[in-house]
Amino acid sequence: MADAVLELRQVTKSYPGSPPIEVLKGIDLIITEGELVAIVGPSGSGKSTLLNMMGALDRPSSGEVLIDGTVVNGLRDPALSGVRGRRLGFVFQQFHLLAGLSATENVATGLLYHGMSGRERKRQAREALERVGLGHRLDQKPGKLSGGERQRVAIARALLGEPAIVLADEPTGNLDSQTTEEIVQLFLDLNEQGSTIVMITHDRDLAQSMPRVVEILDGEISSREVSTA
Amino acid sequence: MTQRAVAGRSMNEPRDGQPERPRKLRSRLRIIDVALQALRGLTSRKLRTALTALGISIGIASLISIQGITEANQAEARAEIDALGSDFLFITAGAGITEEAELLPYAPDMLETHLDALEYVAALYPVDARARRNELIPEVQTGGVTVSAITSSGLDLLEPVNGSVAFGRFHDATSVEVPGVVLGSLAAERLGIRHLVGHPTINISGNRFAVIGVLNEFETINTDLNRTAIVGLSVAEELFETTDTPSAIYAQVPPEQLDDVRDLIPAQANPAAPGEVAVSRPTEALEIREVIDETFARILQALALIVLAVGGIGIANIMVISVIERRGEIGLRRSLGATRKHIASQFILESTMLSLLGGMLGVAIGVGIVFGYAQYKDFDAIVPWFWLSVGVGAAFVLGALAGLYPAWRASRLDPAEAVRPAA
Repeated sequence: MADAVLELRQVTKSYPGSPPIEVLKGIDLIITEGELVAIVGPSGSGKSTLLNMMGALDRPSSGEVLIDGTVVNGLRDPALSGVRGRRLGFVFQQFHLLAGLSATENVATGLLYHGMSGRERKRQAREALERVGLGHRLDQKPGKLSGGERQRVAIARALLGEPAIVLADEPTGNLDSQTTEEIVQLFLDLNEQGSTIVMITHDRDLAQSMPRVVEILDGEISSREVSTA
Repeated sequence: MTQRAVAGRSMNEPRDGQPERPRKLRSRLRIIDVALQALRGLTSRKLRTALTALGISIGIASLISIQGITEANQAEARAEIDALGSDFLFITAGAGITEEAELLPYAPDMLETHLDALEYVAALYPVDARARRNELIPEVQTGGVTVSAITSSGLDLLEPVNGSVAFGRFHDATSVEVPGVVLGSLAAERLGIRHLVGHPTINISGNRFAVIGVLNEFETINTDLNRTAIVGLSVAEELFETTDTPSAIYAQVPPEQLDDVRDLIPAQANPAAPGEVAVSRPTEALEIREVIDETFARILQALALIVLAVGGIGIANIMVISVIERRGEIGLRRSLGATRKHIASQFILESTMLSLLGGMLGVAIGVGIVFGYAQYKDFDAIVPWFWLSVGVGAAFVLGALAGLYPAWRASRLDPAEAVRPAA
């Protein structure tokens, strides 16, 4: 069987308060290489917190997170940042493109913290843009791109540096239904080419088009392995 | 299945030890890229960058221009002092304890004989007489012109006082024995002497004196001489019953001996009452002015430094705002692998570059003002290199300091929160 690239073991997360708010209540989850997983749940179900855990953006209150075989819980900031930069790719609902930079330059920032030369970064960025079907928009600034194109730029950026897993947080939250379909298709294509992708969404219908769906409700995985593959 | 995978991983990755591949996973940011990121942060907000840098610019421009202008003025004053000769002393009767103090008649001779260091000694004797253009002018209308006398040993008066003749000539051994007069510039003007064509004469208390020369104006010191009419002492003794008690003695001393000689003069000029002899150095006034200029410049520079500090605070302010505005960008960078240090260094460098940019502009403006002033005053422009480097150094340090707190805040932003829009 394929290797686990991401593994959560009894992960809990609570935020201080009286009483403390327990957002994640012991999550066990394994994502294996080559999977395309949708994590679906309504607002407040804890799916964003779950993504924070999977993306090493935040530390769990208890339990373990393994990213590409590395236990990341106890890592200090430099090592943790290294894991994020080298092993993970992120796609956000707000795209987070830098306004002053062209599409290529934006994608190239994906390798900024790899200590790579600017020329090499740009070369790889152009390649990635071709992969997401934006080969004709290389020099456009984000302001000139449509929402769908912007998200493609962000996806291209996430693909750079061969991450073990791409985490997409509501990637279609700001897009119309037509564009949403295109982005979903892109994820399916990229998965076909071998990328491991986890997509978080509140859209149940959208989730159903994914090979594997994990449902989360009130901080717990409610229905296991609704696998369509 | 799950259990097996978990167990397998656990053996490879001891939970307490350091992970096995941290080195390979380290984030790395090239120095050039730090600089480029910071630069991009500045160029993407041009107006804000320009306005923020302006505070630093004004501070540094003031710092440099104040110093440059002061130095130019001082150089000019020093040139003036050098031209005047900082090495001449002015000896007069000091305040008497009992009655009006006087210099002794033989004081000039004593000084000349006993103090070898004195190079020129020239005495002026007060003459109680009124100078007029001619006998038709009432005697009371002197126009402020005073009459003084010199002896044949005071013929080199112009040396210590650094005077020069505008037209005609100064007294010589012959002219001091006959009714001839040399006029100061103001005296000549008051008496209507503009040239020597037709051998003009003036009337001094009923006696005709031939005008033999007119002096150039004394501009800064010895201005008393401007309104003086100088005659020969023997003539004055004869006509106006002038005594041989000098009112003032001018003497020139090599600068290195000045202080020593100065202390010796009173005893020579009036051995009986040395305390009644006043020795002064007229150029001291100019030097005092120089000191005042200097003090004033320091006060202004203190103000400029305050402006600079305020500029620095402005930068800190803008950087704090920038950190708040760029939360998303910071979150993105963290997700791309930026460490806290990377984020902090970007903001510190941005702040430093912003300040240095202002510094450069300030240097340009300041040096421009210095040259403009020099041009306007027809002085030599002096670039105050010391203050120029102080300014640039201050901009650098201020920029770095101003960036510290914002950079710290930026680096402490929780990446999980920063990547999502503010609630």
